[in-house]
Amino acid sequence: NEELWVQSVLEMPKRRDILAIVLIVLPWTLLITVWHQSTIAPLLAVHKDDGGDSRRDLAAGLDSKEYCLSDRDIVEVVRTEYVYTRPPPWSDTLPTIHVITPTYSRPVQKAELTRLANTLLHVPNLHWILVEDSQRRTPLITRLLRDTGLNYTHLNVETPRNYKLRGDMRDPRIPRGTMQRNLALRWLRETFNKNNSQPGIVYFADDDNTYSLELFEEMRSTRKVSVWPVAFVGGLRYESPKVNAAGKVYGWKTVFDPHRPFAIDMAGFAVNLRLILQRSQAYFKLRGVKGGYQESSLLRELVTLNDLEPKATNCTKILVWHTRTEKPVLVNEGKKGFTDPNVEI
Amino acid sequence: PPRRSEAALPTIYAITPTYSRPVQKAELTRLANTFRQVARLHWILVEDAAARSELVSRFVAGAGLPCTHLHVPTPRRYKRPGLPRATEQRNAGLAWLRQRHQHLPPPQPGVLFFADDDNTYSLELFQEMRTTRKVSVWPVGLVGGRRYERPVVENGKVVGWYTGWRADRPFAIDMAGFAVSLQVILSHPKAVFKRRGSQPGMQESDFLKQITTVEELEPKANNCTKVLVWHTRTEKVNLANEPKYHLDTVSIEV
Repeated sequence: NEELWVQSVLEMPKRRDILAIVLIVLPWTLLITVWHQSTIAPLLAVHKDDGGDSRRDLAAGLDSKEYCLSDRDIVEVVRTEYVYTRPPPWSDTLPTIHVITPTYSRPVQKAELTRLANTLLHVPNLHWILVEDSQRRTPLITRLLRDTGLNYTHLNVETPRNYKLRGDMRDPRIPRGTMQRNLALRWLRETFNKNNSQPGIVYFADDDNTYSLELFEEMRSTRKVSVWPVAFVGGLRYESPKVNAAGKVYGWKTVFDPHRPFAIDMAGFAVNLRLILQRSQAYFKLRGVKGGYQESSLLRELVTLNDLEPKATNCTKILVWHTRTEKPVLVNEGKKGFTDPNVEI
Repeated sequence: PPRRSEAALPTIYAITPTYSRPVQKAELTRLANTFRQVARLHWILVEDAAARSELVSRFVAGAGLPCTHLHVPTPRRYKRPGLPRATEQRNAGLAWLRQRHQHLPPPQPGVLFFADDDNTYSLELFQEMRTTRKVSVWPVGLVGGRRYERPVVENGKVVGWYTGWRADRPFAIDMAGFAVSLQVILSHPKAVFKRRGSQPGMQESDFLKQITTVEELEPKANNCTKVLVWHTRTEKVNLANEPKYHLDTVSIEV
């Protein structure tokens, strides 16, 4: 600052103003020295933030037309004290949320699971059931799960390949993730006794969606099956259950086949564990399921429309987004691969 | 982590340019979920907008971490495909940091990095960048047409660049692949991202050569052999079924 000031002063053309220069520079030098040493400096900084002048100083040396920073625009939000461990300590009173995530190997897999884990690590009493579409549990997933510190169960089942089609094509008659979700349901039924009163909620969370933390707290109070809107499905900003004045679901606000028994996305509902254990034969239908009817194939065995519990303020808030990740451009890998395959991505 | 050791940690400043599109709130949500796991992280969110939007303002109010909400619009002439993006927004973040620390006594230990809102960050990355003395670098996954790009390291020093695109750049690195100590930013007050004379893809290189040399770079992530950040991109959303007429009776934010 001092340097800039002196420089602009020296650009003044008249030499007779040297005395003026000294008279101007000297007090600033003294002031700045005092400023650095003074204990009131922090207070001055605060005062400056409340005033407006410092904002215009920002424009010095930059094209001031391209900056519009004014006091009102700078909003600082102070975090309330939020001391937590990662994941939060287990609570005896909260129902456990069993999050079932099918996953399969592709370049973005580790990235997707990493950012999903970063979200799940906030949620108390969360049990992550990660089911790989693979012949064996892979080292990548094994390491990832261990390193997160989450409470997890690592399963795998391979969707049969369709050997008639070339390449790595799975059987297209079986929707992606179905066998994996069903395996998780079976694991729950084998692990938990339906007479055991361990309260739990089951939620199907695909690895590329985006979940707010609020969503998990909404689903925790599920008695049978709860539902809520999902963004970016069915070619819409969001799809949503239709809720009447009595707080009951009576239909579905969708464009794509709203007459499905349950016109809802996988990310739009949660089921009480007790119900999963009681209706022990309820699974996602494996074959012969029309597009968009997967969710119905399970839900119609569990619950009727009338029993659905609307969440997210009577289904008026978006707490989950059906985001999809672009396939990364790997053209520079060439046919044989260029980068070191031992470097895990 | 207990408060006492938190106070001694350098603050990490994440400068995130953001712009309005359907997935904006989703991207910011999952980014916040990651950032909230990191101690002493200060988020500088800069909207590409002429005014603060309600969506981002509301989001910031409930974000759950220290957050500074700025905005600066990109001039229309720079919004052509092929031109660098988010230049004005990143510079606004730098300007805010410089102004804020103008009157505070040094040293104010801090590290800043540029966190685009659609990338994916592992928690380990923040541990690695926190020890940055001047400028640190690391590999980035899913970029440059490859599984990853990375600085090539020999004897703890960066000697070259393993990249799929224009390896002849002085700093052949992605925006997500480096962090700068606050001290360096404050001691180079004129270092900004440039528009004039900057070719596409040269943003990072043109910026870094104003503040450091290849020799000075600090390799992180196990001598740049681990991928701790991925240049993920989110698909454009299919809104084909949104009605032109007979809009909904309620207005719901996505």
